[in-house]
Amino acid sequence: MNKTNYFKHKIIRNFKHMKSDYRFYIAAVIILLFFTTAIFGPWISPHDPYKTDVRNRLQSPSLNHLAGTDNIGRDTLSRMIYAARPALYVAFGGLFISIFIGIILGTTAAYSGGIIDNIIIFLFDVIRAFPPIVLILVLVAIVGPSLQSLIIILGITIMPRYGRVVRAETLSVKEEEYVAVAKSMGASPVKIIIFHIIPNIFASVLVLAGMDVASMIMWEAGLSFLGLGVQPPKTSWGVMLQEGYQFIENAPMMLIAPSLAIVLTMMGFSLLAESLRNALNPKSKNEES
Amino acid sequence: MLIYTVKRLLLIVPTLLAVLLLLFSLSYLLPGEPAEIILGPRASDKMISDINEELGLDKPWYISFYLYLKQIASGDFGTSIFRDVSVLNAVLSVLPYTLILTLTGMAIAVIIGITIGLLAANYESTFWDGLLGIFSFVFASTPTYVAAVLILLFFSIRLNILPVMGAGDGGLIDGIHHLIGPALALSVGWTGYIARLTRSSMLETINEDYINTSRSFGLPKSFIYYRYALKKAVKPIVAVIGLGIGRLLGGALFVEVIFNRPGLGRLTVDAIFERDLPMVRGGVLIAAFLFIIANLLADLSYAYLDPRIRNK
Repeated sequence: MNKTNYFKHKIIRNFKHMKSDYRFYIAAVIILLFFTTAIFGPWISPHDPYKTDVRNRLQSPSLNHLAGTDNIGRDTLSRMIYAARPALYVAFGGLFISIFIGIILGTTAAYSGGIIDNIIIFLFDVIRAFPPIVLILVLVAIVGPSLQSLIIILGITIMPRYGRVVRAETLSVKEEEYVAVAKSMGASPVKIIIFHIIPNIFASVLVLAGMDVASMIMWEAGLSFLGLGVQPPKTSWGVMLQEGYQFIENAPMMLIAPSLAIVLTMMGFSLLAESLRNALNPKSKNEES
Repeated sequence: MLIYTVKRLLLIVPTLLAVLLLLFSLSYLLPGEPAEIILGPRASDKMISDINEELGLDKPWYISFYLYLKQIASGDFGTSIFRDVSVLNAVLSVLPYTLILTLTGMAIAVIIGITIGLLAANYESTFWDGLLGIFSFVFASTPTYVAAVLILLFFSIRLNILPVMGAGDGGLIDGIHHLIGPALALSVGWTGYIARLTRSSMLETINEDYINTSRSFGLPKSFIYYRYALKKAVKPIVAVIGLGIGRLLGGALFVEVIFNRPGLGRLTVDAIFERDLPMVRGGVLIAAFLFIIANLLADLSYAYLDPRIRNK
């Protein structure tokens, strides 16, 4: 059995293993909560997150405002709920971009070999040579801060992870007999890549992506906190953290609420990643991917 | 090992060149004309052309890239646009703060992390193990900036036992006092990570044959644990320290911004907001260089610890 099929097989076989893993259930609950909040936010939030009410500013939690109000009287809980959506957009949009580019570059590198292979590997190495935060800062400076540019920039920054995995997997899948058969029947390289290689490497790419969701959410909030991501008055956990930071002496809830949201979401996706990793390789529980 | 080291060192050259090329191309990629940003909208043509000449923008790009490389090689990083200081001096004056912060953060993470991990392994599958496990997991899932604002909120504002901002007045005691909060904030994530790594590595080691053998000889448990098992269990931790320093250098930026501490990260962020091109280039170049060195150390320590890589 080749490496990729082995991988896929293992996921399916070990899904049973995952189902008996309590971490998987905790992760499922948190992630479900995150998705529900992100998708149905406008219907479940108790107040309008943009409606200001300066007479009731900087309030402590009360029955009407469960997490208090911010510096211009907006309901913190509602803003927290609305902020799940940008986190979702950035996490999945960014991952989609890096998977997309990673697959194109990775398969091209593995399939062409020679100088093109070397150039693409070098490109990956250069991107990885930058501290991620610095590369992101520079790119934001070039294109300007916004949700869209954040998605693209994060996608480019973590793309080499995917490119390298895709390249390595393609190199092994390429030697398979069914690829040789397809080639002998006159299939073009593009056709072989699309119909024979990508379906076989996709499982491992998805597993890697599952492990990256948490860090994407962390980046979104962090960069929005610095003022390089989602721009106020739009809401994001990072934007809320920034506003809370400015009123740190008056309204601690403004800081605590988004902090809880970020940590809880990251915990959910880390648990998912861990139970995935555990299912694939029960021996290495805590190793860095 | 020597061949591997040399190969790995040679890899730095093209990478640094590519980093320099990207930094150089910033003056073409950044929105707006650099001269206009510096001089404002009412500058005369003569002033603009003078600035362009100074920045090397009046020549074709490959010539100015060559000039830029020559300039960097001679140790001249240019002058800040807004602050009339040499970029190299500005960067070097804040660099120690970032290095101290990063190394202290790593030291805290290693010490607390290993302690928690050993305790958890020692009390495997008991209540304490579970509790420590939850703590390490929450720590590992807390981004640096969340840890930083929460430490600021609870220790500096509410309890008022740590200073709110800055890096102290230059005295040693005051400097350490100002370092505690930032270093703790920086270390939180890696403390959790190292604790979990230590626990699993320790548990794996104490099930090895040679440990069972020494147990069957009747050696005391603490002796086996801390003389024999720890020596092997600590290897994966040593291997990730280099990687961790690279990560913490990035995290230091958030800590510096939140605690209003001088440092490389804050210098670069400020420069980006001010569009101070030479300063951005200098800060990023030094940051990338440090990161490359940290990655180099990480790779070399992996190779040192794993003969399979060393002899490849």
